[in-house]
Amino acid sequence: MLSGIRWLGALLAALMLGRGGAVIPAAGERAPFRFVNVSEQAGLTRVLLAGRPDKDHLLDSAGSGAAFLDYDRDGRLDIYLVNGWRLEGSRIVERGQHALYRGLPDGTFRDVTVEAGVGGEGHWGSGAFVADYDADGLPDILVTNFGPNVLYRNLGNGRFENVARAAGIETPGWNTGAAFFDADADGDLDLYIAAYIETTEQQVLDAKRTLSWKGVELVAAGPFGMKGAPDHFFRNEGGRFVDATAAAGLEDRALAFGFAVRALDADDDGDVDLYVANDSDANYLYRNEGRGVFKEVATWAGCALDEKGAAQAGMGLATGDITNDGVLDLFVTNFAEDFSTLYAGAGDGLFDDVARASGIGPMTYRPLSWGAAASDLDNDADLDLVVVNGNIYPQIDRHPEFVGTYAQRMLLAENRGPGAAPLFRDATADAGPGFEQVRSSRGLAAGDYDNDGDVDLLVTNLDGPPSLLRNDSPGGSWLIVALEGANGEPNPIGAVVTVRAGGRSQQRDVAAGDSYMSTHDPRPHFGLGKAEMVEQVDVQWPDGTRTVRKDVGAKQILTIKYVAAGL
Amino acid sequence: MEHEMTACRSLVRLLGAAALGALLLAVPAAAQTPSGAGTPKEMVSTYNTLADGLLALKSTEANLVRSILAAANAHGQVELTRAQKAIAASDAAGARSAIEALAADVAQMATEGDNSVAAVRKKLVDAGQNHNSAGEAKGIYDSGYVIVTRAAKQKLLDSSRAIAKMAASPNGPALDAEWKKVQSVVEGLMK
Repeated sequence: MLSGIRWLGALLAALMLGRGGAVIPAAGERAPFRFVNVSEQAGLTRVLLAGRPDKDHLLDSAGSGAAFLDYDRDGRLDIYLVNGWRLEGSRIVERGQHALYRGLPDGTFRDVTVEAGVGGEGHWGSGAFVADYDADGLPDILVTNFGPNVLYRNLGNGRFENVARAAGIETPGWNTGAAFFDADADGDLDLYIAAYIETTEQQVLDAKRTLSWKGVELVAAGPFGMKGAPDHFFRNEGGRFVDATAAAGLEDRALAFGFAVRALDADDDGDVDLYVANDSDANYLYRNEGRGVFKEVATWAGCALDEKGAAQAGMGLATGDITNDGVLDLFVTNFAEDFSTLYAGAGDGLFDDVARASGIGPMTYRPLSWGAAASDLDNDADLDLVVVNGNIYPQIDRHPEFVGTYAQRMLLAENRGPGAAPLFRDATADAGPGFEQVRSSRGLAAGDYDNDGDVDLLVTNLDGPPSLLRNDSPGGSWLIVALEGANGEPNPIGAVVTVRAGGRSQQRDVAAGDSYMSTHDPRPHFGLGKAEMVEQVDVQWPDGTRTVRKDVGAKQILTIKYVAAGL
Repeated sequence: MEHEMTACRSLVRLLGAAALGALLLAVPAAAQTPSGAGTPKEMVSTYNTLADGLLALKSTEANLVRSILAAANAHGQVELTRAQKAIAASDAAGARSAIEALAADVAQMATEGDNSVAAVRKKLVDAGQNHNSAGEAKGIYDSGYVIVTRAAKQKLLDSSRAIAKMAASPNGPALDAEWKKVQSVVEGLMK
């Protein structure tokens, strides 16, 4: 009888969520996840503006990203939030200020935006990407904009200065995702910036809803019928960036509607490749052919289209060994009434769409998905997937007869471990009050802001303050690796850390640019399950040098400094 | 291939100029026709000429896409031969390069051209220019596709992936077998 009640309860909960396959832990069982939204008590109150209430233009509903960073290098994560504008009709009511929050020892944050000088230059912001581009040991912040981009160079005294014009990366337009990476292996960070559509400020201000949605509402038009804006690639030449898009083979030939960008070694050949998730167009995989020259190979590599050969509406992405086979996988979030796609690495730079078989496809079918992270949220030594959701049309709330609402829940898909079929379990319903919130969310950054060994989640929401979901899950053991590069730079982009513990090897890379226009905690985090010791930590630095530590205690933030080969 | 494209561009320009010229000639004549006597025959004639031109343009577009497929197919044949020679010579790097190029050719057939063509297709779709509206409505064609059906696209993508997977461990007979599958699909499309 009791089991029948449990079963009925689980079924009801699954139906209420509208998600097939949800399994609720039985009474007395401890849920593996618990997240609590602590943004208000932590002091994260900045409202992120997003155009007009009716979202008359796509820019109104694109939202903005967020970043975890440690700008003052005090060992605690700080937070950077990107802001948009508030419009009324065609009138600009408010140009939102971005926000830099300094992490304090008690787990709260202090707004230091004004004293740091990083509130923005009045542009409508898109994403935040953190990297020490000038190798001075201090993290800098790139803010992509609808308008000229801003590059905040960290001066080291708590202040920043905008050097975008001098650096040559303003590229006015609707800039979106970006990634810093060393494309040509010359020791400095190059930069790729994606762009969405060609549109002007006046067109945004004058926008009217003209697209018929299911024949019942007029909603914002596009991106179909609009011209895609070209992406840009810049080579770093002594701190100044030079446009080398064509020379590097990175021309956006389809003029695709670009959103998310991630640099990664997709074919495990030691150089850095680049993946771009495009909205309504085939995605790009630019394979590095050596010396920073790329070839676009996504279609035959199996990660441009879905399993049926259709281009999807790529919004955000996540990477990592999601399928527990030691090969890097790609996860791309897509529009509502379509699967988000899990491209499982098949080795040699090839991918197979396993969204359906893994269970993540059906789980993501209903919502419109944006930011994503592949993180071990319960520290059980595999990567879970977290996805933030929210529709772009507020008008759909007037039509309960159709699938979807404007505000939506996030998704937490628990990785059930090697060999499990399906690979994922929808754990949203038992992930605590943080996952009960319903917002139209966009950006997602994952990071351990309170340094307690589990990964917390920072989410941007349209027309509201962000959510900071503190991870209170009763998880397993863990290790965080904090790297210090050759020039003292924290967590050098492109470093790869491999950890062996409890009979498993896990690998993470350090990247700037991920999710949906966001940057995660740069420190590699590993869930270790029951392991109390780590047999080996192997760091491969961007220059190829390796540092190995053996027999390391778990449950610590392990700092590893670069030591030149031969020393 | 380049010659064919140049010829197509010339044809398009020629038809455009002819239609415009006919229209300009017709307007003064139409102005002399008494009102209320129906559509002036000169205008009907011009419209008819324009229709012929538009239909010819559509046919030209279809032929151009066939040319794109044919060019990719011919290039694929060259790469297949190169791959087989490299395999026979135990040249792993050469075989890999040729097999990847072959996979790319097959993928380009699946998508009726590379990313540059995708941009053109998007432009045409956005402007309402569509070859297969009825076929799209029935799910036979993807939006903007002229020759390649969804079913053919899926088969070609599968072959492209199968060929790409052979790059790491080249296998001559398996490569030939996959290429035969591609040829079967392409022959069906070119009929």
